[in-house]
Amino acid sequence: MNLKSYLDLFELLGTDTSSREERRAFGLVNVVTKNKPLEQLSAWVYENKTKLKKPALSETFSSTLYSMTLLISVIALLFGFLSGVGLLSYNGHEPVNVIYFIAMVVFLPLFTMTLTLFSMFRANVTQSMLVHISPAFWMEKILGLLPNKIEDNLKEVKINPLLANWIVIKRSQIIALAFSFGLLLALLGVVATKDIAFAWSTTLSITPEAFHHFLHTLAFPWRDLYPSALPSIELIEQSQYFRLGDKLSDEMIQNASKLGEWWKFLAFATLFYAIVLRFTMYVLSEFGFKKAIQRSCLSLDGAERLLRDMNEPIISTYANENEQQFIQRHTAYDQMINALDASYDVIQGWAIAKENLSVIADSMKVISPKFFEVGGGNTLDEDMEIIYHSRGEVLLYVKSWEPPTMDFIDYLEALVKRVDKVLVCPVGTLEDKYETEAKEVNVWARKLSMFGSAKVWLKV
Amino acid sequence: MMHPKFAVVGHPNKGKSSIVSALAMDDSVQISDTPGTTTKKRSFPLKVDGEILYELFDTPGFQRARRVLAWLEQHDVSADKKHEVVQLFINEHKDDPKFNDEVELLEPIMNGAGIIYVVDGSKPYGEEYEAEMEILRWTGQPSMALINHIDESDYSEEWKRALGHYFKMVRTFDPMNTSLEQHLSILESVAQLKEEWTASVKASIRLFEKYHEQMLDRSAAVISKVIYKSVSLVEKLTFYGEDATKDEKNRIEEKYKERLRALERSTQKSIESIWNHDHLQKEQQSFPLEGMDLFSEETASVFGLTRKELLVTAAASGAATGAGVDLLFGGATLLLGTGLGAVIGGVGAFFAFNELSEVKVLGQTLGKRYLEMGPMENRNFPYILLGRTVYHTTQVAKRSHAVRGVAEFHMDSIFKEKWLNDDLRKSLEKYHKKFRSGKEIEAEELAEYEVLIRDVLKYLI
Repeated sequence: MNLKSYLDLFELLGTDTSSREERRAFGLVNVVTKNKPLEQLSAWVYENKTKLKKPALSETFSSTLYSMTLLISVIALLFGFLSGVGLLSYNGHEPVNVIYFIAMVVFLPLFTMTLTLFSMFRANVTQSMLVHISPAFWMEKILGLLPNKIEDNLKEVKINPLLANWIVIKRSQIIALAFSFGLLLALLGVVATKDIAFAWSTTLSITPEAFHHFLHTLAFPWRDLYPSALPSIELIEQSQYFRLGDKLSDEMIQNASKLGEWWKFLAFATLFYAIVLRFTMYVLSEFGFKKAIQRSCLSLDGAERLLRDMNEPIISTYANENEQQFIQRHTAYDQMINALDASYDVIQGWAIAKENLSVIADSMKVISPKFFEVGGGNTLDEDMEIIYHSRGEVLLYVKSWEPPTMDFIDYLEALVKRVDKVLVCPVGTLEDKYETEAKEVNVWARKLSMFGSAKVWLKV
Repeated sequence: MMHPKFAVVGHPNKGKSSIVSALAMDDSVQISDTPGTTTKKRSFPLKVDGEILYELFDTPGFQRARRVLAWLEQHDVSADKKHEVVQLFINEHKDDPKFNDEVELLEPIMNGAGIIYVVDGSKPYGEEYEAEMEILRWTGQPSMALINHIDESDYSEEWKRALGHYFKMVRTFDPMNTSLEQHLSILESVAQLKEEWTASVKASIRLFEKYHEQMLDRSAAVISKVIYKSVSLVEKLTFYGEDATKDEKNRIEEKYKERLRALERSTQKSIESIWNHDHLQKEQQSFPLEGMDLFSEETASVFGLTRKELLVTAAASGAATGAGVDLLFGGATLLLGTGLGAVIGGVGAFFAFNELSEVKVLGQTLGKRYLEMGPMENRNFPYILLGRTVYHTTQVAKRSHAVRGVAEFHMDSIFKEKWLNDDLRKSLEKYHKKFRSGKEIEAEELAEYEVLIRDVLKYLI
């Protein structure tokens, strides 16, 4: 994962419309990347890259960032070079005080690198002051001054603050490196083209021995490899100069050829403190930047969902096709009565045993000479036989809780051809004292309304 | 090998569709007390990445069972040929509208489906069922009976006695109040119907458990995200005058609240979708929890922390920060940092009990002025939102897919006590503090928070 793929992922997640099935299919095809979220995301970006609008946001952002970095690095290089030339400017009257240059190539880099280390530790804080004071941070501000079209394009980019901080830290190291190279170039250039008398001078009472000890410490990385790049105590003694007049001391003039030897120390100090250490910081920042990209990719809105969709099997239990919508017809049934007569020619019970029929009839104070169980356990022929013996008005008890089936309708159809009137009377269970529920009776009313016979009545 | 199939059959209006709906976790199945709602068989396959593990069929009820049985009995055949007669019946009556329902329900059985015969155990047994059971016996397919309880009365015993004559297994199942355990126990029974099906159905059981885990994980992820997004939300409003008017300040506050309400609503939708309750109807779509607004005092009293709880939590959190300072100085501060942190945290929480977030006027020096509200400063808010969301999730997750009608989320005043203890509150506060800080939260941190929420859901559901 790099910055470009992070931005591509950011853009793709914002516009992606793929279904869970498509994502899962991708996960199954790229099964080797399972449990490696970054590789999975990277593969997904690669697969979907063609869906990005042209020019891709990542291209615009990266090229703008690259151009800006290059421009500022060139400026830093020039600035470093000019600073170096300025620090080493020698007019032939006054020696060049190496302490200025040492401060520039040793102490300034050490100070800024310490700040960089702090900012690395605090990189996950959105409003990190240390990051904000970095010169690279102001690159972002400069981006805002670019022509409107580019700016509008970049406004869409919402970079994770952690990553944004690391971008600034990394770019700062590049700029500092360029500046340091400028200093080294200046040193080498000036040394090659001029005969400079280096010296050292300070208001503090520092003895040459102490100064040598200090330089010896500073030169620890190269003093054993290149002993000549560490000024000897004699050279330090000879090159100490006091600002007591406007002329060089006689001793210095006598040892003029030796004073130039300082350049080796300055070159190695620049190389080690300003360039090698800075490069180490750059490598560290590159490492942190890469880690930040990885973490930021996983924190992107939608990334976690995408990974879940890729890795979790799709379990579905629902129907394949939509159900045909059932439309209930609410037809009012107007052949309803509220009370039963005292007697009927025949009493029948649909799936109600004969012995239960007489109990129900008694409880409702209804009498009849004939009781028959129909439906239920009867055969169709037995039902036909009963219909054959039926006449006049028939009271047909039905179980209110059992919805009318087409078997019942077939029977009713045959019965009404034979008799004058059928009164369908739903009854509840014995435990409910044959009381019915309104919703159960409504089911019967709806069915009878569909049956549509003038001879059929319903007791409610 | 063909995957196992099961046809849910029975008399009309005995809850076949409810059972299918509950077992298939599909709330789109039409269920009504009007007989004949199901007119066509419908397949509900359990699929994993497109591969079917088993298939459930919802079928219409028997309409002319006696007639079908009479037709079958006209054919005097030995037991081993009976299923052929049933197939013959289907072939001959395929286009006969009179036997549409019987053909629809017998077809999957003759194609190898096991039979799940459904009866209503809250109503008395009747002889009229025998024709249906006899037809099913003619098919020769493995079968079991499920006693459903539509109402409160119980006639299970007489049903069990009758069903025992026709089915080798009789089980009771209430689709309206089903839990994962009951669901899996029915599948365990189904697995025993035929030896060849056992492995596949057992695999389905493991898969259902995994599916449940998956739903818990996804819910926890959605909840964690909404808490983080809501607490860290920042709303801006540009204004052009010298100073922001009261109306402008009210407007940004309302806009801020509305964004938070919208986040909650969309989370609830996601949760319902995760638990396959896309068709859930709510009394009030905007305030789904009994009309209680996210910012009402009522909701704060039910779901939020009390002033005392909040004070203790904030003080503990402040003390932890102060302890860091003490540690930095190697204890030379004589635990002053801890004490001071606790006091600052506690006092802050006490006085900001009802405050949401300060309305800040920004950008004055740059000439482009705007009001900014957020991130959420109210320490109680994450607990309120979390409580509401967890409550909604548990209600949705526990709701059977067979239940139709408007979902009523009855408030449970002791709900908070069921899941939020002191330890959990401390653990949650650590993350809430980070969410409030405006720092970018890393995926790992959110994942840790998600684990806490997941444990809560697992405990409650």
